[in-house]
Amino acid sequence: MKIKVAGVGLTKFGEIWDKSLLDLALEASKEAISDSRLALSQIDAVFVGNMLIGKIAGQDHLGPVIASSLGLSCASFRIEGACASGGLAVHLAIQGILAGTYKNILVVGAEKMSDAPITQITWALMGAGSSKERKAGLTFPALYALMAEAHMQKYGTTRKQLANIAVKNHYHASLNKMAQYPFEITVEQVLESSLISSPITLLDCSPITDGAAAVVLSADDSKKGVYITGSAVASDTIDLAERESLTELKATQIASKTALKQAGVEIKDIKIAEVHDCFTIAEILAMEDLGFCSPGAGGKFIASNATRLGGKCPVNTSGGLKACGHPVGATGVKQIIEITQQLRETAGQRQVKNANIGLTQNVGGTGATVVVHVLQN
Amino acid sequence: MSSPVTVWRHHKNIKNYLGKTGKIVVWTKIFIAPAGFEHEAPYPVAIVEFSPSAGSGLVTDRMPLQLVEYEEKHLKPGQKIVTVVRKLGKVGLDKVIEYGIKGKPV
Repeated sequence: MKIKVAGVGLTKFGEIWDKSLLDLALEASKEAISDSRLALSQIDAVFVGNMLIGKIAGQDHLGPVIASSLGLSCASFRIEGACASGGLAVHLAIQGILAGTYKNILVVGAEKMSDAPITQITWALMGAGSSKERKAGLTFPALYALMAEAHMQKYGTTRKQLANIAVKNHYHASLNKMAQYPFEITVEQVLESSLISSPITLLDCSPITDGAAAVVLSADDSKKGVYITGSAVASDTIDLAERESLTELKATQIASKTALKQAGVEIKDIKIAEVHDCFTIAEILAMEDLGFCSPGAGGKFIASNATRLGGKCPVNTSGGLKACGHPVGATGVKQIIEITQQLRETAGQRQVKNANIGLTQNVGGTGATVVVHVLQN
Repeated sequence: MSSPVTVWRHHKNIKNYLGKTGKIVVWTKIFIAPAGFEHEAPYPVAIVEFSPSAGSGLVTDRMPLQLVEYEEKHLKPGQKIVTVVRKLGKVGLDKVIEYGIKGKPV
């Protein structure tokens, strides 16, 4: 597999009061098309990753909304897979190119979350959970809190180890002008912030974010550039309680194994990664499930600074979902953009030296959907 | 909130989960609640493990349950739980009240 990331476009992430979802999607899309140096007429499909806009603004049927606003009459689709909607849209666009149906596809992930009150967003996000979870009054912070508790019980992972992840990702975001929270925080601030769902505090959580991210994927492999060489999706039970283990995401293990095999590389070859740190515990699970460290060792591994900028394998140099922000439908696409910028050596202050192979992991729900991509230059 | 026919269909299944005993695997206390549950926050929710039903083919049978009539000392792994029927969330005066299964420490 060799799919070129021909162009990238990204809006500022944050509470963007003066722009609608369509404004954000068009801004990112036009930048990506311009960056690709393709003419608009050469785009032959539009894939849109989005989870929430139908629930919070009543606007479904998003594919043609965005395609027609760009002046395109080509095929257009909306892809929904909870917080993995963006990664799924990239994966499906790749399949469309590999099948020979399309040659140049615009993939845009977009979400507009700050227009709705917090209780409505919390309720809408629980659409990614099970009926039993909704009836129990669970929320996504609570579901990840249950996984954190299970990890603490089984492996002795500490609150401070969780807080270290938020501190690291805020440091990375402080170097990223597109991040929602481009400033540093301390371990003490994380530990002392208000409880959302014990043991998870406010600063363990990714925020509610507006933003859009777009890439143009192309079948053209004639020139030097950044290419997606592995792309895989795996599924698990929608209900966390039904899993064999509460301390691992089986879908991450399956999808990463497949994507790495497609790319012909091993996890030890990965120089940089963007993983789904929707809550701090999620980055620990990602490190373990992807094979960067052994099960139970994630907290210590991250505390060793191996995944901080300057470490052996920097993780979430964008600031991750935690500090760059998490406009859920855009996140999986933004991860592709961050790795592309690193491999192009255009990441500025947060540039990782000699980065030539990168990986993204995008999670839907509590791991019912996981998308993994491998990128190389 | 659920429509009347959805509530009616859900209520027909409640009996299948009633009076079961199990134990807490993990628990959390929720301070920021979703719509319909705000008035109950903070409230604990646990993943509770039950012995699997005969012929189910399951090694374990777990489900998430909101805990009711608890004391702080009950919030621990291994705590014995019995399932009970209670009102779910809060609905407007013109809506159908939905009941469901919750967990009570014993």
